[in-house]
Amino acid sequence: MQFFSKTNIDFLSKRTMFVWFSIVLNIIGIVAPFVLGLRFGIDFSGGSEIAIQLSKTENVSLIREAIDKANLDGAEIKSFGAANQYLIRIPATSYTKDPSQTVVDAIQKAFPSETVVMLKKDSIGPKVGEELRNKALIAVVLAIFAIGIYIAFRFEFLYGLGAAVALLHDVLVTLALVTIFSKLGIINLEINQSMIAAFLTVVGFSVHDTVIIFDRIRENREHHKGMNLISLMNLSINETLSRSVNTVMTVVLVLLTLVLLGGEVLQGFAFTMLVGIVTGTYSSIYIASAFVIWFMDKVKHSHLEEDFQKKKLKPAKV
Amino acid sequence: MNSKKFWRYVTIIGPLLAGIIILWPTYTAYDLEREEQEAQNRAINGKDSTALATFENLHGETYRTAKLNRIKLGLDLRGGMYVMMEVAVDTLLRETAARETIDEIFDEVIKATHNEAEASSADYLDVFFANFDRIARPKGKSLISYFDVPGVQDVTDEKVKTKLRDDVNGAIDQALEVIRQRIDKFGVSEPSISKQGSRRIVLELPGVNNEKEMRQLLSTTARLEFKLVRNNADIIKALYRIDEYLARSSKKANSTVDTAIALADSTIKADSSAKVDTAKNIANASAKKGKKVAKLADAAKKGDTTKVDSTKVDSTAKTAAADSADPYKKVKDADKPKRYQQDHQLTTLLQIFPLDQEGRFISKNGEPMLLYKESQVPDLEYVIYVTSKGYAKFKELMSRTDISRIVPSDLQLLRSAKPFNVSKDGRDTTYALWCVLAAPQLTGEYITDARASSDPMSNQPVVMMEMDQEGSEKWADITGKNIKKKIAIVLDDQVYSAPVVQNKIAGGSSQITGMDSPEEARLLEIVLKAGALKAPVKIVEERLVGPSLGEDSIRRGLIASGIAFFLVILFMTMYYSTAGIVANLAVMINVLLILSIMTPVVIAGGGTLTLPGIAGIILTIGMAVDANILVFERVREELSKGRTLRAAIDEGFRRALNAILDSNTTSFMTGMILFLLGTGPVQGFALTLMIGILTTLFTAFVVSRAMIELMMASGKPVNFGQPIATAQ
Repeated sequence: MQFFSKTNIDFLSKRTMFVWFSIVLNIIGIVAPFVLGLRFGIDFSGGSEIAIQLSKTENVSLIREAIDKANLDGAEIKSFGAANQYLIRIPATSYTKDPSQTVVDAIQKAFPSETVVMLKKDSIGPKVGEELRNKALIAVVLAIFAIGIYIAFRFEFLYGLGAAVALLHDVLVTLALVTIFSKLGIINLEINQSMIAAFLTVVGFSVHDTVIIFDRIRENREHHKGMNLISLMNLSINETLSRSVNTVMTVVLVLLTLVLLGGEVLQGFAFTMLVGIVTGTYSSIYIASAFVIWFMDKVKHSHLEEDFQKKKLKPAKV
Repeated sequence: MNSKKFWRYVTIIGPLLAGIIILWPTYTAYDLEREEQEAQNRAINGKDSTALATFENLHGETYRTAKLNRIKLGLDLRGGMYVMMEVAVDTLLRETAARETIDEIFDEVIKATHNEAEASSADYLDVFFANFDRIARPKGKSLISYFDVPGVQDVTDEKVKTKLRDDVNGAIDQALEVIRQRIDKFGVSEPSISKQGSRRIVLELPGVNNEKEMRQLLSTTARLEFKLVRNNADIIKALYRIDEYLARSSKKANSTVDTAIALADSTIKADSSAKVDTAKNIANASAKKGKKVAKLADAAKKGDTTKVDSTKVDSTAKTAAADSADPYKKVKDADKPKRYQQDHQLTTLLQIFPLDQEGRFISKNGEPMLLYKESQVPDLEYVIYVTSKGYAKFKELMSRTDISRIVPSDLQLLRSAKPFNVSKDGRDTTYALWCVLAAPQLTGEYITDARASSDPMSNQPVVMMEMDQEGSEKWADITGKNIKKKIAIVLDDQVYSAPVVQNKIAGGSSQITGMDSPEEARLLEIVLKAGALKAPVKIVEERLVGPSLGEDSIRRGLIASGIAFFLVILFMTMYYSTAGIVANLAVMINVLLILSIMTPVVIAGGGTLTLPGIAGIILTIGMAVDANILVFERVREELSKGRTLRAAIDEGFRRALNAILDSNTTSFMTGMILFLLGTGPVQGFALTLMIGILTTLFTAFVVSRAMIELMMASGKPVNFGQPIATAQ
């Protein structure tokens, strides 16, 4: 079986269009969290989250009523997995004593004939929440930085920069889509610890594609001396296309399974990775490579269409 | 030639066998755990009382060894409780400071420190010292104004700082030890207790489901003290003094408001009366102001005279014959209670009953004693009650430094642990309030043993305590000196009981009553045995996963992995034919290896498998085939260039290596960052991800390669699923 045989697609000729498209998405990624608001999980905002299960499915408004009676202000009630399971979230400012028992008691009182089971509970002090939030931010920035340096060291500085730009792009596009999907309420996407893990995995995985293409460029540069940069890149992208598509396909298969079957806890995590990894493949072609071309053209003023041989190229450090 | 072939078989079968052998205990352990659970259920249901013993005989030993070598499941899969605790440094500082020196300045420093430290991750003591320098020093205070270093002469601020730092560090280490003992005595299987940073303790308690009890067990300071009860006129007088102080300060506040209003009045007047005759208006205004002040003075005078009046009358009245000395004679009857309440803000929160010499209530119609002021308080013993609502207000007032200073510094007011009375609708409860000598006669450090049982007479839960030699002697001495007096048994500033000493107690035994339930008595037994915490701890993060959710997560995780794996296998076989099957086998060995590495056999202490960890393994399935895809694509490419299969395979593996190494290094780096900065479940994910990357490199380059080489050696060409036209 073969999806692509000896393709010769001129990916990079339309790069301007795609770059603009990406810039728009990135701007959305920066603006959307402010406009639409990010939903932080209690990991980061502090507070209490209690998942309960009743013997029967009850109307959410009845549960809300029961919680309101217990004087817990600002409680949010959502469904949790199955229909008779509910997630009750209470902001840290609404209680002084751990509220889980109050919640269970209040619901038991409202539905005396049913058994109320506490499935799980998380209580996080506001200070711990802030610490976790800071750590998460450090983790993402550190990861992008470390990977950029690694690529710069393994390839060339410019390529490292290109990879880092592509990573930043992936994170922002994923953030944009996550915010929008979360707002649409299609899927439960709260920014919590496992979501950060998903973002970091996206960072780690999307650089795979970039590395594969850069590696091929490095190799082809030796074989096709005299080819200009754009043709070289196009050739390398075409040669690795089959691999990129197949890999993304297997990963997408796996992640789709997780989104559909992984349950409430893993759903958001897998969805974020799914979005991020598809974005990562796209950005390896259109952002990482396009950035290198743009930089050569505008900053270094080298003539892209010219033959390569005239220039002194640093040999690959392998 | 043959030996080459042999080693290739070894590289394939070796990891497979090793994986199965290493994972066997995990399988056995969870299998036996289920059996144990069943046996337990049978025993509880009474179907088979010997079920547990039978299980122990048959599998006990195997189960225990297997348990030691199995993969640990995270709390999110097993169910259990995660708790992060912090030493309450603010309370520690307040307690370390000499009580009589604590003033508003100290409170201000503590408050500022608390607010600042809650919002940052800076060291609590550093923040405290900085705030102290900023707030207290300009007011002429130094650390030695509040803190003393026992046994050291020429105390300097530096020495105090060192001492405080030692105290905090000592407190956390001691707390760790005490909590370990409590958990141990409570009986949690496989707990994990560790110190995080400089002042946090993290506990992972698999299988723990009763969070309320656990929270109590963990956050109890367990400071046991025996204190002499001093419910006499001294404290009641102090309470009336506080009333008077509060009444006076609220009057002062009112009068300030009055003057302020007057001033505001005058300014408004001055403003509104335009340009016409400003001077006149101002004069007018000030005249008005003058009148107001005069009125105030009048009022004050009146107040004073009534006071003088009532004292005259009161001084003759020795008992609580209040009516004859009514300072509110001129007040309308309907307003009297309101006025009384205004003038007695503290004592109206309480119900005070005097007792006669025999300890009987002296009370008209069971009403509490109401007096106007301190000098009326008869020299008797008292009983004080407070409702839970009243207590909240009472505590709030008493926490004010200016108020608490009115109470003699050697006395302390403590609430009873158990309510004295619960109102019929259950909405309000009444507690007893005890006045005790602040300095304890004896503390819990002499307790050697504690045992929860129930009082044979009343059937109430009780904890019996035994003391060591030194404690016994002291206890005998104390009880001997205080016969017919009350000694309060105080635990964490709550009075559990205050029995009257009937005779000298030798032998060092004592008991605590006043627990709500036998469970509480059992917890008390544990915390008394484990000893008290030097500093109170508070819970800052708590997570609980019920067992049913954990089981559900495992089930979902297994189903998702199964389906994901199946889809990948299908795709790989269809696309890459024989080579695809090779890749699939390699991925299976890969998963087996990841799980094996997670066991304590390979990693010291063992890794923990969490739900995100399962996701990590599933993701690795997807990523592992990436390495194979890279190699196979390269082989196909080389084939299409017209190379022989042999050369193409060599070239494919060789050329793909670089790209795979580079890309996996970056993934490994992110995994590392996640592992270092993440917590709990996320760390579990990072762990499987990192292990997965290593095993992927091994299986893709060693195991897959060996399989392909073996096929080649057997003379069959390996099909890479390449289109026929371009092959060969």
